[in-house]
Amino acid sequence: MSAPEAPLLIFIGQPNCGKSTLFNAVAGYKAQTSNFPGTSVKHTHSLVNIDGRLLNVVDLPGTYSLHPADPAEKVALRHLFQEKPDVMVNVVDASILSRSLELTLELLEMERPMVVALNMTDLAEKKGITIDAGRLAELLGVPVIPTVAAHGRGVKELLEAAFRCLESPCRGPLPRWSAEVESVVDKLVASLPADFPCIANPRFTAIQMIESGHLFCSEFLEEIDPGLKATLDGIRDELALRRGMPAYEAVAAERHHLSLKLSEQASLVRGRTRRSWGERLDDVLMHPIWGYPVLIAVLLGFFFAIFKIGGPVESALLKPFAGLKAWLAAEFGSGLVFHVADGLASGIGGGVAIVLPYFIPLLFLMALFDDVGYLARAGFLLDAFMHRIGLHGKSVSPFILGFGCNVPAIAATRILESRRDRILTSLLIPFIPCSARTTIILALVAFFLGPWWALGFYAANIALVAVLGRILSLFLKEASPGLILEIPTLKMPSLKSIGLKIWFQLKSFALFAWPLLIGGSILLGLVQALHGDAVINAALSPLVSGVLGLPRELGVTLIFGFLRKELSLLMMLQALGVGYQQLMTVVTANQIVVFTVFVSLFIPCLSTFAVLWREVGKKIAFLSAALSVTVAIILSVAVRLLL
Amino acid sequence: MDRSARATRRPKDDEMTNLVQSPKGATLRIVDIAGGEGVRRRLFALGFNVGDDIELQALGILRGPVLIRNLRTGVTAAVGRGIAQKIVVEAADERP
Repeated sequence: MSAPEAPLLIFIGQPNCGKSTLFNAVAGYKAQTSNFPGTSVKHTHSLVNIDGRLLNVVDLPGTYSLHPADPAEKVALRHLFQEKPDVMVNVVDASILSRSLELTLELLEMERPMVVALNMTDLAEKKGITIDAGRLAELLGVPVIPTVAAHGRGVKELLEAAFRCLESPCRGPLPRWSAEVESVVDKLVASLPADFPCIANPRFTAIQMIESGHLFCSEFLEEIDPGLKATLDGIRDELALRRGMPAYEAVAAERHHLSLKLSEQASLVRGRTRRSWGERLDDVLMHPIWGYPVLIAVLLGFFFAIFKIGGPVESALLKPFAGLKAWLAAEFGSGLVFHVADGLASGIGGGVAIVLPYFIPLLFLMALFDDVGYLARAGFLLDAFMHRIGLHGKSVSPFILGFGCNVPAIAATRILESRRDRILTSLLIPFIPCSARTTIILALVAFFLGPWWALGFYAANIALVAVLGRILSLFLKEASPGLILEIPTLKMPSLKSIGLKIWFQLKSFALFAWPLLIGGSILLGLVQALHGDAVINAALSPLVSGVLGLPRELGVTLIFGFLRKELSLLMMLQALGVGYQQLMTVVTANQIVVFTVFVSLFIPCLSTFAVLWREVGKKIAFLSAALSVTVAIILSVAVRLLL
Repeated sequence: MDRSARATRRPKDDEMTNLVQSPKGATLRIVDIAGGEGVRRRLFALGFNVGDDIELQALGILRGPVLIRNLRTGVTAAVGRGIAQKIVVEAADERP
């Protein structure tokens, strides 16, 4: 955890400005980065040692302004206001400098030690924009350090500037607004009582009050100081009247124009002769018609790539473990030692041979999608379809993340502005086949029945999400606010960044999931050795054999599926007492499909359940579990009867 | 509180229309955003303010979103059809 004596440095910036990449470069590759606005929805802490000096570094979710519109932005503000950082690093995207400066101007008003990291200067150059960092520093009154986070350029200089700011104040005068706005701000500052609970300073507080209006504890203010409330309302009305627009818009417009002016003063824009590769590619990727065949081709390519890589690797890796199992049986007979050793071998072998061959290619492709910026484009293309299930294009990114793992996908619903959208998206995400379920689908359905069966399984699963969304939206009638989504510039994927992302996920797999797989397998071995499985299986047999038509030995595996979905697969082999290659000798193709349907759907796994509880509450978490069980039973029976 | 004086600001111009009715590739100036405060604030936050020149890059099929690019800031955003209908625009004379 954080050491109290280390100064606190926070990274703050607008979504997709390369903040997490920069944080990674500083903090040793801990935060996850992506090219979708608002993917880092949680803050990340890291204690780093820079040339013998300790620094407590925090990466906050991206926020467009200091007036939060979604829960991810609220996290950023809470930290900014409560943790009182010793120094702020405001990361700005040099390729869209003026828009980025709007947040910078808000942060400057706080009058705290601050350094601006002028990031993505390479991208700006490609767009024909050269920014004079020295001039910008003069205009803003704080140090400005050019960086290219993706290549680690400027990081050292940035940290040195931050340390200098810690040692001595590094601020010049604030950029001023038009006299009209300055005068109303001054008027409110003068009216604030001496003991008013100001954030940062009276001027910052006054601006926030004028701009926020009803957001800024309006009722509370009415209670404690009706006089001040009347003054504030008067000032807001005065500004609205003078400018012919609501007060919040007047302040936003003021900041917008000041940012444009500052960015024009600090940059040199050369006319570009030709459009960049990204823009030309976007003509196809976001074409109202051609975009869709590309999207379908990308998704199919995604699926087949994972299967074509994972399948052969899985077969090759499984051989030594099959040999090990045979050797264990010959050596230890069928006593307690055999069952425990067999469980251990299944857990380790399952992780290495069954899970990783599909997991790693999936991680690679997800990271690639994310880095390039395709998620936002998919959001644009699928917006019209999402409207039919009561959502909009911004939910596409959490859904696609769900194919990797449901847990971060549900956390990513924080980028949605309305609670209704968050609930609906969170209820649907557990029906998206995550990497664990993909492993089961590929290792059972695709491996034994063929890839087209697995693809059909996927298609049916997506159709199920659509149907459920349609049904659930009938109960959640409140209108969705609609899509407003920034489309970030397409970026060349960086192998370093993708590699780090995979490494991060694999580490988490090795630390949390794999021990669970091994522990679960050993536990099953113990239960089998003590003949406890017979009791559980007997209790579950009305469901397992009666309703689903599966071998009753599988009862115990379903229970463990709650811990991790892959566990059901590993345990299936262990419980049936056969090797992977011989599976078809004891079960039929029909049973494989029914088992996969049931295991995929029947309940969100433990981690998903926990994150649902945290993000949308206990009631929704239990509702999700009940919904999953119902849907799983209905569909499994339907599949059993139809096939 | 925010008794908006927006209505009085609109120029009486026959050229005015909304984003959805504009042709693809057109250069337009934002005259007004007639949506609720939440939508307006969000658009301002993304750098789309009244008076900005934008280019309509694409219109999604099946009542899909529109893709707009702010010619002054360089920011591109997808805006749902319902919101796009509320963005009042006029033809901009020329690119800045």
